[in-house]
Formats: sequence, C-alpha cells, structure tokens
Amino acid sequence: MARFEVSQAIEETASPPAAVAQPRAALTRSLIGGLVTSLPVLVVGLLILNFAPTYYTYLALGAFVNLIVVVGLQVFMGNSNIANLGHSAFVGLGAYGVAILSTPLAMKKLSIPNAPFGFATLQLDPVSSALIALIMVGIVAAVSGKVISRLSGVAATIVSLALLIIVHSVFLNWTNLFKGNQAFFGIPKVVGLPWMMVFSVVVIVLARLFKDSRWGLQLRASAQSPQAAAALGIDARRLRLMSWVLSALICGLAGVLYAYFAGTISPKLFYFQMIFNTLAMLILGGMATVTGAVTGVIVLSVGLEFIRSIESGVTIAGIQLPQLLGLSGVALGVVIVLCMAFRPSGISGRYELDELLSRLFRRNAK
Amino acid sequence: MDYALQQLLNALAFGAEYSLVALGLAVVFSIMGLVNFAHGEIIGVSAYSVFLAAALGLTSPIVAVLLAVAAAALAAVAFERVAFRPVRYAPTTTGLLTAFGVSIVVQNLFMLLISPKPQSVSILNGLNQMWFFGPFAVSSLQVMELIVSGLTILALVLFLNRSTLGLAIRAASRDFATVRLMGIKANRVIATAFAISGALAGIAAVFIIARRGSVSPDLGFSLVLKAFVACVIGGFGSLAGAAAGGMLLGFIEVGLLVALPQEYGGFKDALTYVIIVALLVYRPEGLLGQRVELGDKEI
Amino acid sequence: MLSVDNLVVRYGAVSAVRDLSLKVGRGELVALLGPNGAGKSSTINALTGLVTPASGRIVLDGQDISRVRTEDRIRAGLTSTPEGRHIFANLTVGENLRLGAAIRRDPKGVRQDIERFLALFPVLSERYGQAAGTLSGGEQQMLAIARSLMSRPKLLLLDEPSLGLAPKIVVQIFDFIGELKAEGLTLLVVEQNARQALRFADRVYVVSAGTLRHSGPPSSLADEHGLFNLYIGG
Ligand SMILES: Nc1ncnc2c1ncn2[C@@H]1O[C@H](COP(=O)(O)OP(=O)(O)OP(=O)(O)O)[C@@H](O)[C@H]1O
Ligand SMILES: [Mg+2]
Repeated sequence: MARFEVSQAIEETASPPAAVAQPRAALTRSLIGGLVTSLPVLVVGLLILNFAPTYYTYLALGAFVNLIVVVGLQVFMGNSNIANLGHSAFVGLGAYGVAILSTPLAMKKLSIPNAPFGFATLQLDPVSSALIALIMVGIVAAVSGKVISRLSGVAATIVSLALLIIVHSVFLNWTNLFKGNQAFFGIPKVVGLPWMMVFSVVVIVLARLFKDSRWGLQLRASAQSPQAAAALGIDARRLRLMSWVLSALICGLAGVLYAYFAGTISPKLFYFQMIFNTLAMLILGGMATVTGAVTGVIVLSVGLEFIRSIESGVTIAGIQLPQLLGLSGVALGVVIVLCMAFRPSGISGRYELDELLSRLFRRNAK
Repeated sequence: MDYALQQLLNALAFGAEYSLVALGLAVVFSIMGLVNFAHGEIIGVSAYSVFLAAALGLTSPIVAVLLAVAAAALAAVAFERVAFRPVRYAPTTTGLLTAFGVSIVVQNLFMLLISPKPQSVSILNGLNQMWFFGPFAVSSLQVMELIVSGLTILALVLFLNRSTLGLAIRAASRDFATVRLMGIKANRVIATAFAISGALAGIAAVFIIARRGSVSPDLGFSLVLKAFVACVIGGFGSLAGAAAGGMLLGFIEVGLLVALPQEYGGFKDALTYVIIVALLVYRPEGLLGQRVELGDKEI
Repeated sequence: MLSVDNLVVRYGAVSAVRDLSLKVGRGELVALLGPNGAGKSSTINALTGLVTPASGRIVLDGQDISRVRTEDRIRAGLTSTPEGRHIFANLTVGENLRLGAAIRRDPKGVRQDIERFLALFPVLSERYGQAAGTLSGGEQQMLAIARSLMSRPKLLLLDEPSLGLAPKIVVQIFDFIGELKAEGLTLLVVEQNARQALRFADRVYVVSAGTLRHSGPPSSLADEHGLFNLYIGG
C-alpha cells in the first residue's frame, strides 16, 4: 500500500541526508510542508466561518474532528504500515475524560451522582481537564502500545480491535462513571470553528514533522523491509510504540474537541462507525502521506453528506423515495474495496502537497 | 456437581463454536495470508439465506441446515472471486483492509435490502431443546454443537491428510509456487480453501440461528472478532492453534461468567480480551505459533 | 521438442535475461551453464511460467505455450525441479510424491511409480512417513527429482541439482540423471558443477549477464578461447 520507495527510505535512513547534515533546514522544510498541506483546510474553514449557515458550520465541526482523527490514524498506519482498527477508543477516552472532569457540578448531580474517586464533586476548567484527559489517553496508549509494538502486523491489528472492544465495554458497563449507553450531556461547549481550525493545523504540522523526522523515516524503512532496517540497527518496536502513542494522543485530542463542541457524547459515537468512516477517508486519500489524510477527509465528508441526504429519503420529481438505511455504509465499504484493488496508494499517492507543487514548479521552470 | 457439569458443557460448546469459526479463518490465512474480516458476513449470508427460504415457505429443518452450509460455502467462494482475487499478491495489510471493506458492504446490504432490525427465524428452533439424562438436564443444542464440531474437525483433518487437494492446501500454506509446479491449479486450491472456510462458517451459522431464533446484520461480526482473537492466541495461521485457541477462549469466557458477580457480568468480554492480551505479552507468537516476523506473508 | 526464441525477463529495472534463444531436441540432455546471477534460474522459471517474461516465444512440441499458465504447462508435459529443491517440508515423503502425481488419473500407475522410486532410493523408503523437512539435503534433492518425475513429464528442467551437496552425492545424482536420459527423457539441466553436467550432455549453452555467449557440443568448451575458465572454471 504505502508505495514510497523502499530504497529511498532506507537510503535516507542509512545516511540521513538532510535530517543530520542540516537539521534546521530540514525542520523548516517539513514545517513549511505541513503548513502548505493545511492550507486547503484553512481555506475551507474560513469560507464556512464567513459564509455558511449554521447547519453547515455544525457539519464542518464534525468534519474537522474526523480530520484530526484521520491525521492521528495516519501517524501510526502510514508510517508503520500496520492497520489500526481501534483508534476510536482513544477518541472516546479523550471525550469522556473531559466530560467527567469539566462538566458543571449541577449537571453531574443529574448525570453521574455516584461517580467514584470524588469525580461527582470535582469540576475543573476546560484546559486542565483537557490536559489531564490527554495524560490519561497517553497512559492507556503507552500500556497498549507496549503490547502492540511487540506483535507481528496481523496480531497487532487484532489487538487494536480488542482494545476498542475493551474500552467500549468499559464505557457501557461502568455506569457510575460513564453513564452507560445513555448520552453524557452538559459538557461545556467552549470550542468553535476557529479553535478547531487552529488545532487542525497544529496536528497536521505535527504529523508532518513526525513523518519527516529521523524516527518517522526509520519507521517507514522498517515497515518496508524489516530485515534491512534491523541490520541498520533500527529498533522498530520502540518506533512503533512512539508512533502509536503520538497517534493516540492526536485521536484523544479529537475526542476532547468533539466533547467541547457537541456538549453531549455517548459510547456508540466512538465505536465501529467512526472506525469505518475514518479508515475509509484515510484509505481513499492515501495513507502514506498527511496530504492523503486531508484529501480523504475533504472528499469523503462531502460525499458522505450527499449520500446521507439520499439515505434519509429524498423526493425526486415529486416521488418520495423510501429511507435507504445502510447506503452510506455500502458506499464506504465500496470505496475501501475499490481503492485497495485499483489504487492502494489512494488519491494523493506518494507525494505530499508541497512536494507535488515544487515538482510542478520545477518542471515548468525547465 | 450438576452445575459444574453444566458449565463444563457450556465451555466446551462455546469453545467448539469459536474453534469452527477460527479454523475457517486459519485455513484461508495459512494459504493466502488473507486476514478475512468478511468471515462474519459469510455467516450472515448463510443466516439470511435460511431466513429468506423460510419466508418463502421452506419448512424442512434438514434442508435449512444444508442450505445454510451451501450458502456459506458459495458466499466465501464468491467473495474470493470478486474482492480478494485482485489483491491476492498484495501485502497483508491491503488484503486485510479489503476484507474489512467487504464486511462493511455486506453488513450494510443486509440493512439496506432486508432490514436493520433483527428478523425472527424459527425454522431451526427444534434443535434447541432440553434433554434429560437421568438427573441431568442438558441443552440439546450444546451437545450437538460439541459433537458436530468434533466430527467436522475430524473430517477436515482427514481431508487435509488424505485427499490430493487437501495435501495441496497444506503444501500451499508454505510454498504456493511449487504447488503450481505440480500442475495443481492455484485458483482451485484457493477456491477449495474458501469453500471449506465458508462451510465451517455455515455450520456455525446453523447453531447461531437455532440459539437466537433471529438474524440481524451484525450477526457474525462480533463472533468473528472473537475467532480472530482465538487465532492470535493459538498462533496466527496454525490450524491446530486456531482450534486450541477457540477452546481456550470458550473456557476463559465461561470461567469469567462463573467467577464474576452478577452485576459485573457486563465486563465479561472486556476481561476476556484483557486476559488474552496479557497472555500475548508472554507469548507474542501465540501458543502454537512459530515466530513470524513483520513480513508475515511470503511470495 | 522445446524451442525458445528471444526470451526477455525483467524484474523491475533489472534485466535478468536478454534476448535468449535456445532449443532442446527430443531425447537430448542439454546443459545450461553460467556464473551466478547469469539468469539461468530466471530462464527456467520463465519456461515453467512462474515468472512472466517481458517478451519472447516458448514453443513446446509445436504448441506456443508463452501465454499458458504454469499449471497447464505441467499438464502439457513439462516440469521443473526448482533451485533449492522446494520440497514440501510440512508434508511427508509419501505425500510429496503423491502431490507430484496430482495431474494423473491412474491411481494404479501412481502407486507403481512410487514403489519404483522407493526401490531406487532406499533412503526415501526408510523415511516414507517422515516430514520431508527433516531429510538431509541430498535426500531432499532425490525426493525433489522423484517428485518431478511422478508427473511423467516429457521434458524435465533441473535447476542446480548439485546445490549444496557433497561431491559423492553429486556423482550419484548425475548417474541417475544419466539413467533418465538413457530411458528417453528429455532434459535441460542448469549447473554450476560443469564437469558433472558435461558427463551426459549432448549440447551446452553458456550464458552470462543474461546473454547467450556460446553454444555447441561439450567438447567445444575446452578449445574455444578458454571459455570454460572464463565463465565456469573448475
Ligand atoms: N525476484 C527477483 N527480483 C529481482 N531481481 C531478481 C529476482 N530474481 C532474480 N533476480 C536477479 O536476476 C538476475 C538473474 O538471477 P537468476 O536467479 O536467474 O540467476 P542464476 O543464473 O540462476 O544464478 P545462480 O547461479 O546464482 O542461481 C540476478 O541479478 C538476480 O539478482
Ligand atoms: Mg539459479
């Protein structure tokens, strides 16, 4: 799938040309690359902020959350080339973390009066809540990552699924703390589109920096050719762990932001549906690059919205079509299957947006 | 005593069902390196075929059982032909994600074409009765599950060891190219493996329908997740490992059901997975697996 | 019996075989010699169809098989014993032999052939029910050749039958190859051990870097400008 050049990745690892020789230049280039990649996101965000009706703003907020999740997913999958089917667990943990910490006491009396560890009588400000929630996510990620980074690709994927089921089951059954399958409401709505855009850019740049860093390069090299990488002394386990934790933190952040804009969450939001959506976005866009993640989210968000409008029963030429529940699911699945068969590297392929642009410039210059 | 025996039977019956499904996954993985996430939907196709046949007036349970197995085998072969063949020589992750996509498509097709809600199917309810052996009351379904699974596994072992195609499947799990050098058609070996895998899923489907008396779009999904875990714990790709892993999973689950107080019953699944993951920390390659490096698939 | 015209095999940017043409007549034993990486195995694999040539024509008994699948080429009477033997390690010796006969529909004949090979290689008979992966290298090579013969081929391609074997065993194996030729089997043998290969060869092809350098009777190797030493040595 990730079809970047093996030899290139290995070579760059063996004698890191830019990363070591001119660390600052490489850093700057990567930083600029990340900013270029997030430009389309900013443009879309600004357009919506200034011109769109409220309904679309709300949709856009959801899409931005997906964007952050997909970028988080890319950090692990794109670099390690191991399928992760459990990342929405971290989104859920982030969201529930801030819900439990920051919801006003009056609300908590209604929703989780019997919460253990004194959480029922604790209310923190949104920022500290978010930080603590992310620390929790980091701890869970570090523990699960320890196991996952030791396993072979397939087993790691299955364990990522097991993690999702464990976390979901805890949300459902630890009712004193998580309210079970009922909605957890009353979370302070402190995040709007501007903050969402800021964090999206930060996350995109972060993912890009990781990808271009020495660790990212080495991880990609070891995913392409484990033996060769091991022979160069690359510790693939440690790198997988590193990218797993970073990926989880980004997903956790998406959860935090979701809770802070929606104000209400429930466990099923962070289960398979989210996995399906975000995975299809990443695959369609192309998981080898951060640009791919961004592209996939933009294309599929629009596409899915269109399909959902059909799904709920449209009127065409005066005829009311019936509800077509499942249509969006079929579409997502078909996108994944077709992509895998015909273009496993997704829409954007091997190159980041900035790399593509500079290639174009160079060609035109000639 | 009665209680202990009952729980033992429970564990064996659960374990047998997991083993059947896990074996189906392992047969396909061992020769193709395909992590077939759509295996649950093969169970789904089987169950919905029985549902549709019953709705169209089928009354014979025997025909229903045969239909379930045949439909599952056909569905498995069809999935291979349509979706998995294009990614046959692709990396493991590509196949895995393709299968995941197929799973989503088929599940949603059930929703779209039939209904998102569970549909009742009573044609196989007769399999689920109470049998009395002196003072013991046992569920006929569980006894049958155990016996049928045992016989099926025996038949599978015989097939793999005696028939030429069976030998070819075992050989192909190590060296597909050389199997072709024997003049054996690759497509035939793979289709057979999928048909076997599907038939095993179909047998599991019969028991599921008989127990639940209904079908729903996500019928096979969570079962297959457990079967995957059974495969991982047994050693991915090892047939014996899949069967053993399935049994172990059955015993862990029933053990937890017995040990957990009523109000914590909901944590059964979570704890099962925690135990399995903990086991993996000590044996990352599974109980019967060989050390496989990240590459996973040759060719 | 076999004629190959302008065969080209590429692996990505690497050209392993360039424009190679060769012929093998009925009942002949032809040796294909050349240094490591010359493209010999690539040629063999292109003949069986395990690698797809970029271009070229392969004709077996007047039938163009260039586009035919591996499985069907075996059915057409061609087979190969691949380099490194590739016995089915997880199957027993007996099961390996049975799989070799997978295309045959005469169970009785198959049984007789198995008997024959067991009598010919008594070690295999001792190890009949044992996993083939536990055999020694020499035993594995014998099994691999016997397995190829189980399909009753018209043309057998042998890729380095002496690979990794002790000199004494190599002589044994080539004695057996000589017998096969005497029985009328057509053979194309790839070898590093030129002396052994030349014992029974009717004709020799020498390749290097994917290109044909020389062809002729075995005796021609010795006289022509030290060709023997240049490409083969020993
Ligand atoms: N699967 C492959 N992918 C890429 N290159 C390959 C592949 N197989 C062979 N090659 C290359 O093709 C060339 C010819 O290889 P081949 O195996 O045909 O040589 P050979 O003559 O059989 O050598 P040897 O005597 O060592 O067996 C070599 O340079 C080799 O590196
Ligand atoms: Mg060779």
